[in-house]
Amino acid sequence: MTNKEERDNHRPSINPVLAHLEAIATGIKWLTRKPMTLMYPDMEEKKPEYFRGFIIFNYNKCIGCSLCAQICPPRAIHMYRVPGDKRIRPGYDAGRCIHCGLCTDICPTDALDVSPVHDEVFEQIGSMDFDPVEWHIISKKLVEEHAKRKRKLVITRVDEEVGLRYEPVE
Amino acid sequence: MVLVELAKILHVPVWALRGFLAPLVYPGLAVLLGTVLFLIWAERKMAARVQQRVGPYYVSPKLHGALQLIADGARFALQEIIVHIETDRLMFILGPILTFTFLTLPFTVLPGGPGIYGFRSDFSMVIVYALLTLSPITVILMGWASSNKFAMIGGGREALLTVSGEITLALAMLSVAAMYGTLDFVTAVEKQMHTGIIGLVSNPIAALLFFLAMLLLTDRVPFDIVLGEQEIVQGPYTEYSGVLYALTMAIDYVKLYALSLAFTLLFLGGWAPFTTPLLGAISVYIKSLIVMLFSVFLRAVYGRMKLDQAMNFFWARLFPLGFVALALGVFVHVIYA
Repeated sequence: MTNKEERDNHRPSINPVLAHLEAIATGIKWLTRKPMTLMYPDMEEKKPEYFRGFIIFNYNKCIGCSLCAQICPPRAIHMYRVPGDKRIRPGYDAGRCIHCGLCTDICPTDALDVSPVHDEVFEQIGSMDFDPVEWHIISKKLVEEHAKRKRKLVITRVDEEVGLRYEPVE
Repeated sequence: MVLVELAKILHVPVWALRGFLAPLVYPGLAVLLGTVLFLIWAERKMAARVQQRVGPYYVSPKLHGALQLIADGARFALQEIIVHIETDRLMFILGPILTFTFLTLPFTVLPGGPGIYGFRSDFSMVIVYALLTLSPITVILMGWASSNKFAMIGGGREALLTVSGEITLALAMLSVAAMYGTLDFVTAVEKQMHTGIIGLVSNPIAALLFFLAMLLLTDRVPFDIVLGEQEIVQGPYTEYSGVLYALTMAIDYVKLYALSLAFTLLFLGGWAPFTTPLLGAISVYIKSLIVMLFSVFLRAVYGRMKLDQAMNFFWARLFPLGFVALALGVFVHVIYA
């Protein structure tokens, strides 16, 4: 048996008319199904308790030990000299941050903390780099805005019928 | 009749009013634009549904994104038309305009209902076919004038596919003409109403050929080889922007509308079972809308054929089948007589 004959013998036989009708019928069947898109800005997945999002900074708790800058793997935290302050304080480059949360673990006074905010939008790269005072201000603002949010929170479930299903939670 | 009364009020002859209203209102431009907007939205929505996505939504959440196309249109209208330095300036700008104009001309003879037509001719099928055949010439010229590799390849593909698609369309139309013994749409519909058997039943092969040729000529999947987004960006329309791009995008849908209207008249019984102008017009429109929706729905089902596969399919399979359809048409004509 030559190669070609072998190939021809193993080819599945397809009815040219029925196969097309079957394909179209399958398309129509799927047309009636519901989409499984998460309608994101209106709806949001519920975040776990210790979700590591944007790092928030409390200037008043900080003692300027610079441990956070030492431990930060991508060097997103740098120490700055603030005019009128004796100690050096951490500044934050959100573009470099990998949200590992090591800085919040090592901080002796809990001046750094993780927040569930993960979708803050910056229009320019430069605007993602904060000095200590700016970081304090934006942290306060983000936490306040997050508390005001009124999005439907859902949990994703894998469903055999639909694929993905979203169950609302309180 | 309303038209006669209106002509009396306006002091113009009835034929002039017909010739004015048919290409501009129904079945022509006004209805056409609404249909095209709806059709593109429906196409995107249906493809999205099959893939379990949502499709266009946030432009108007309450209408499920139906105003997306109007937003797109506004954007195109405000966009700068970029004509780059290597183009053949005149042909580049005239191309889409000419093509669109050619494609709106068939609506002068395509009847949209009983007594709703621009003018009635004994050769209206031939006229529609001839006017639809004009547009590929300008599309090829657009591809050449763009001075772009993708546009050039797209133009070449358009030339190849047009030749193979139009011969099939011509054979399908010819077999229908042989079946009804006429080249006039109105007479063809009256014949179907008289015998009570629609063309789809009496000559299914011609209907299939007509439908497949329609898909090919209007760049619908699986024959969207001219536009082939993943291969040649937008085919002959690659270099266009702004209003001209909107026109090039509309070209295929206008063609689809004209050909679906012809399909409805020849194979689906036209305005049957109604005989009054209003109900008849609605019947024709809904039937052709269903044909159009089905042909854009195929985007979600099929992949794209290769150029050689499509050519082989049309010349080796459908072209001989066309002669079978012609023989069947002649046979049915004898039975009818």
